[in-house]
Amino acid sequence: MATIVKLQHISSFRGKGTRNLIREGMSKRPTPDPVAVLRGHRASVMDASFHPSRPLLFTGSADGELRIWDTVQHRTVSSACVHSAAHGIICVASSPFIGANKVISQGRDGTVKCWDIEDGGLSRNPSVTIKTNTYHFCKLSLVKKPSAHALQAEGHSYHDETEFRGTFDLESLDDSKEKAERGLTECSNVVRDTHAEGPNYVAIAGELSHEVEVWDLNTAERLVQLPQSSVGGSPNISTSERGMCMAVQAFLPTESQGSLNVLAGYEDGSMLWWDIRHPGVPVTSIKFHSEPVLSISIDESCRGGISGAADNKIVMFSLDHSMGSCVVKKEISLERPGISGTSIRPDGKIAATAGWDHRVRIYNYHKGNALAILKYHHATCNSVSYSSDSKLMASASEDRTVALWELYPPKT
Amino acid sequence: MEVASKRRRELEAAVLDKVGEVISAVRSAQRVDQVICALHSLAVLLFPLDYSSLLSGSIDQRYRDQVLSAKVPSEEERWEWWQAFYHGAAYPTLARVLLLDVASNWLACFPLSARVHVYDVFFVRGLSSEVVQTLVPCLQQNASDGHDINYVLSNTERLLVHCLLENDGVLQMAREFCRSEDSISEWTKPTVARLAQMVASIPDKARLRAPVSLSSHLFFKQITIQLLSLAEKRDEKVLDKVSFFSKSDVDDALQFVGETFSRICRRGSADVLLSEISPRILRHVQSLLSSDIDSAVIDVFEAHPGSQFWLKMIEAIKDVYAVERISEQLLHHLVTEHASDVEAYWILWLLFHRTIRHQTSVRSMFVDKFVLWKTFPICCLRWILQFAVLECPPDSNSLTKGHSISGLVDTLQRLLAVWSKKEFVQSASMEQQTYVSAAVGLSLEKMSKEELDETKDVMHLILQGVSCRLESPNHLVRKMASGVALVFSKVIDPKNPLYLDDSCSSDIIDWEFGLATPDKGNLDTSDCTEKDVLKSKASILAPESDFNHTANRGMSNNVKSKTKKLSEFKIADPDEIIDPVTLNNEPVSDIDDDDDNASENSESSSDSSLQPYDLSDDDTDLKRKFSQLVDVVGALRKSDDADGVERALDVAENLVRASPDELRHVASDLVRTLVQVRCSDLAVEGEEESAEDKRQRALVALLVTCPFESLDTLNKLLYSPNVDISQRIMILDVMTDAAQELANAKTVKPKHRTGSLITSISESQPWFLPSGSGPPGATSWKEISDTGTLLNWSSRYERELPSKSGQIKRGKTRRWSLRSSSVQENQMEWSHNKFPVHAAAFMLPAMQGFDKKRHGVDLLDRDFVVLGKLIYMLGVCMKCAAMHPEASALAPPLLDLLRSREVSHHKEAYVRRAVLFAASCILVALHPSYVASSLVEGNLEVSKGLEWVRIWALHVVESDTDRECYTMAMTCLQLHSEMAFQASRALESVETTFKTRSVGLPSNLSQGTIKIPTHKGNIDFV
Repeated sequence: MATIVKLQHISSFRGKGTRNLIREGMSKRPTPDPVAVLRGHRASVMDASFHPSRPLLFTGSADGELRIWDTVQHRTVSSACVHSAAHGIICVASSPFIGANKVISQGRDGTVKCWDIEDGGLSRNPSVTIKTNTYHFCKLSLVKKPSAHALQAEGHSYHDETEFRGTFDLESLDDSKEKAERGLTECSNVVRDTHAEGPNYVAIAGELSHEVEVWDLNTAERLVQLPQSSVGGSPNISTSERGMCMAVQAFLPTESQGSLNVLAGYEDGSMLWWDIRHPGVPVTSIKFHSEPVLSISIDESCRGGISGAADNKIVMFSLDHSMGSCVVKKEISLERPGISGTSIRPDGKIAATAGWDHRVRIYNYHKGNALAILKYHHATCNSVSYSSDSKLMASASEDRTVALWELYPPKT
Repeated sequence: MEVASKRRRELEAAVLDKVGEVISAVRSAQRVDQVICALHSLAVLLFPLDYSSLLSGSIDQRYRDQVLSAKVPSEEERWEWWQAFYHGAAYPTLARVLLLDVASNWLACFPLSARVHVYDVFFVRGLSSEVVQTLVPCLQQNASDGHDINYVLSNTERLLVHCLLENDGVLQMAREFCRSEDSISEWTKPTVARLAQMVASIPDKARLRAPVSLSSHLFFKQITIQLLSLAEKRDEKVLDKVSFFSKSDVDDALQFVGETFSRICRRGSADVLLSEISPRILRHVQSLLSSDIDSAVIDVFEAHPGSQFWLKMIEAIKDVYAVERISEQLLHHLVTEHASDVEAYWILWLLFHRTIRHQTSVRSMFVDKFVLWKTFPICCLRWILQFAVLECPPDSNSLTKGHSISGLVDTLQRLLAVWSKKEFVQSASMEQQTYVSAAVGLSLEKMSKEELDETKDVMHLILQGVSCRLESPNHLVRKMASGVALVFSKVIDPKNPLYLDDSCSSDIIDWEFGLATPDKGNLDTSDCTEKDVLKSKASILAPESDFNHTANRGMSNNVKSKTKKLSEFKIADPDEIIDPVTLNNEPVSDIDDDDDNASENSESSSDSSLQPYDLSDDDTDLKRKFSQLVDVVGALRKSDDADGVERALDVAENLVRASPDELRHVASDLVRTLVQVRCSDLAVEGEEESAEDKRQRALVALLVTCPFESLDTLNKLLYSPNVDISQRIMILDVMTDAAQELANAKTVKPKHRTGSLITSISESQPWFLPSGSGPPGATSWKEISDTGTLLNWSSRYERELPSKSGQIKRGKTRRWSLRSSSVQENQMEWSHNKFPVHAAAFMLPAMQGFDKKRHGVDLLDRDFVVLGKLIYMLGVCMKCAAMHPEASALAPPLLDLLRSREVSHHKEAYVRRAVLFAASCILVALHPSYVASSLVEGNLEVSKGLEWVRIWALHVVESDTDRECYTMAMTCLQLHSEMAFQASRALESVETTFKTRSVGLPSNLSQGTIKIPTHKGNIDFV
């Protein structure tokens, strides 16, 4: 009983204190602290990804360890070495579209592994292992599809859009393309029923690091290379002079009639917008950055995004699908260069960046003005990620911690 | 001729006869009236007396008739008689009778009028020079011949006052001398000198009870005034005495004046003399200067008769000492009277311009003595240089260079020869050093580059002097060096002045180096306007306070008003152009801001949930932080990474204070690197101090947390050839600080809380409720209902508590057990001296090698500052170990060190001061009982050492040139006697315990006498 009483003291006191703080800080609110800090990794945390529906967070570290955290209790649920310690994980990803109990890890050992989440942990062996033979720094990308929420916000009817799915032109595609389209069609079914399983795709920088490859997650087969090398007749462009592909983002805009689009950022600061239907030539080519593009995020409506690079700029851009153009919406210059991760909250209100300067920065995604500079980490931040309910944000840092933040919680 | 001399001889015989008659009459007189009659019969022959009315009534009828019937001689006859009387032997004879016999026997009975007319008249109306010669010897009459000596003396004194002071006797004497010139020139120089001597000796010969006006101060003042009135009287006589001054030789009157003045100076009253002279001469010069400035000033002075008096007066003073005293006093008086440079120059010129040419003694006095060995205010120095060295009239405000520079070069060389010597820096008093430095600087200012080039050794001497001053631990001495260096550099290259010191950035060097006397600013009078302008310019640069300062110096009124005017002018500074852009800028930007905000507000109002947080950002956390001592060491070694070194220094102290396990292993390395880090090279301009400070604090922390390892390295480094003086000094400073910190170490111990072990339950509340105790302001307990389970075994209560005063909410990390102030009150701080354990490690290694001269190490001679610091450190160590047994163990070796001749008699006062400090520390640190027991046990080491301290301190008090050494030695002596007293008390108690226990006493104790060699007088215990 004594303990309880003590706790009551504490809570009553705390409530008062917080209120005071708010009252005092109306003019200049102090930046908030993380709501929780997850410690346990023994190496730099490279990536974090929320489970699409359950309160779980997946994090992968540079020593190959993948941890699953309970975001309510802030405890480690399970931990497993999924890639060799020498190579480590560079990316973990999960998405409602690949199945609720799956998580994908990408190691620097040239493999991408897909894991089932079983009771209390990962499966002993990965359900799928893709040998991509890539040994670079580019994080893979799962396919992003316009969510019902985002589309409604834009005034579109989601279902209307999907009606057109089956009708796009198939003639120019080869065998693998047909397969892809089949997959994509199926995939669109997945959208409708998030629990459905089916073929799924990842975009990833290829074995030749200036190429982008799209792999089928279910079959572990390569679907297409961008630019495609072996299409006779069509005028191919080479991306080799652009240097390595440093960031990819795959998305499935409604306008593309179910055809997979990929935005790829390159070492020279340029970005190419690929449509998988035309693997030889990109839709458009833009150059916002002067240094390697390190991170690209597309918002839920797939009509815009944000990119971070090794230079001191963050660019918010919009994609015009009808024109096939990408224009800068807002350019934010930074005091210190280096944005290694970006993320847009599913509700599209705010965006976060993970900086080399240890800071996590929050921006108003619509207006592009800065909202907060979060100083918690004391080493480079590697990635930021929002939970699908927009309530939580996780930032992963080289200081071996993952911080959970609750900023501007959506009013529900 | 023969007739005249014959006649004079006859007259003298007649006068003698008459005097003889009178004397015999006085001797045989039975009544006072007879005496009066006798004297009157003579007086009537000599003086024109209006006796008839005065004598009547005061004497008997019979004698009155006799008096009245006396024959009154004619004017000529009287004059002849008077001459014969005073110039012959008659007067001294009569005077003797008058002063001795009449005074003691009859004078008391004289009526007042009779005393005046027949007695005093012989002296008052007499020839002053003769009168003095008779009166003065009388002051020293011994009691003989049955005279009433007291009455004789007091009468003589009365007569002296009457003759010399009230009747201007001294002035008359001077007149007599000049009158005598055309009659009989019987005044030889020795006589004049003898007379002057006599006059000047009167105050000394007068008795204690003599009238106040005979005291030396008043008497000399009076006769000075009389003699100086001669200067003005001469003006009147100028027409009929044209030839008077054409004589090359000084006439007797001035001879007398000069002699008298020199006697007055000899008798130590030069200040009285000059307090009269200097205003007069200043007035004189001022009147001449104001009358016509433009014509050749020298001619004006030469032509003016009043000037001649002054000129000749100094020539008449043959006594070199007197001349020196007079000129010294004159300079001081001119300072207090705020003479301007021009006035002072002309006064000096007027008085000395002839003598300085003809008399080498006067010349050397000005050029040598007054510049090198005496100290005057700096303005006097300027006058002296202007007059004696530059030898030309000054401009309104600055020294002016004449045509010939040989004197200047000569003087400069002589000055530099003294100034550049190390011994001078070591032994001369601070005032002297300041003065000579100022002299060097002022004369150097007047040199040109070419002139300097011609004199080879001047540059060398300057460099030598500057360099040996720059090493000095005394700030003032360094400032002198930088001042001279600045002047020198300006001479060499006016465009590129050399500032050795940050503080002296202005072009005007304060040659008084802050030792200024309060009336410093008074040199400026109305005519030196340019200087005022300069000054007020300076006040424009450094606002308000500076101006107030200059104003407060008590300048003469006109100057003050002028500066005030200028400062008003300063307020409306035309240079301060108000930029319209800056004026407009602010409101414009404000409006912009508002617009911005407004637009933003209108936009953001749509989603107010996205209110930005505080967006301020700094990069302090981005710099790499060191968390390991090893990293710190590594970073400190990378001297090319200034940033890293700085950050390492930032964290070093805290890391060391945390005293991690590895500290012991890293300590030695860390000490070495910290000592060798070059803070000045690394730090940003202006931040060297803080970097240096951090380094020292880190070292102190190391010494405190890990003494033995650190000390080992530090002591090795102290005498290592690889560190420079500054590092050695730093090492010693750090050791001193560490010793003090160890000695004052505090440990916090919680006070034992007496809480009630058994709680009493008050009736008012049920037992299951939590107790009501808590901080004030807490609300009462309320039960809260648990939701959910039906089976609720526990009941929960809550109440609201006020937030604690000291509560800090920082981040998500919450400390519930914050110590409030009340908690701290419950803890006791125990100070615990941790130093004694380490005392030996601190002191002994450091003491080992001080006298060895190795490569780069030369404490005894070159690096005396290090030696001083070392001794100071040892002293502090002793103090820190005070009253502990370690102090007693370490005192003898330290005393040995101090006693060594090259330390205790070091040339540098700095070292001697340190030795005195250390000796005082030893006296304080030794426990009295230890001193006592060492005496009892015959421990000669200690007792001899302590006795040496006393003797040496006495020696310092008597003979040291340094003032601070003197005061420290006095303190040391005090402490010594205190210690001796305590020790003697301890001895007493030892003795009693020995006696009561009847233990076998040591042989010397059983004899019953102990000599305490430490005390001045031996104390005997029986």
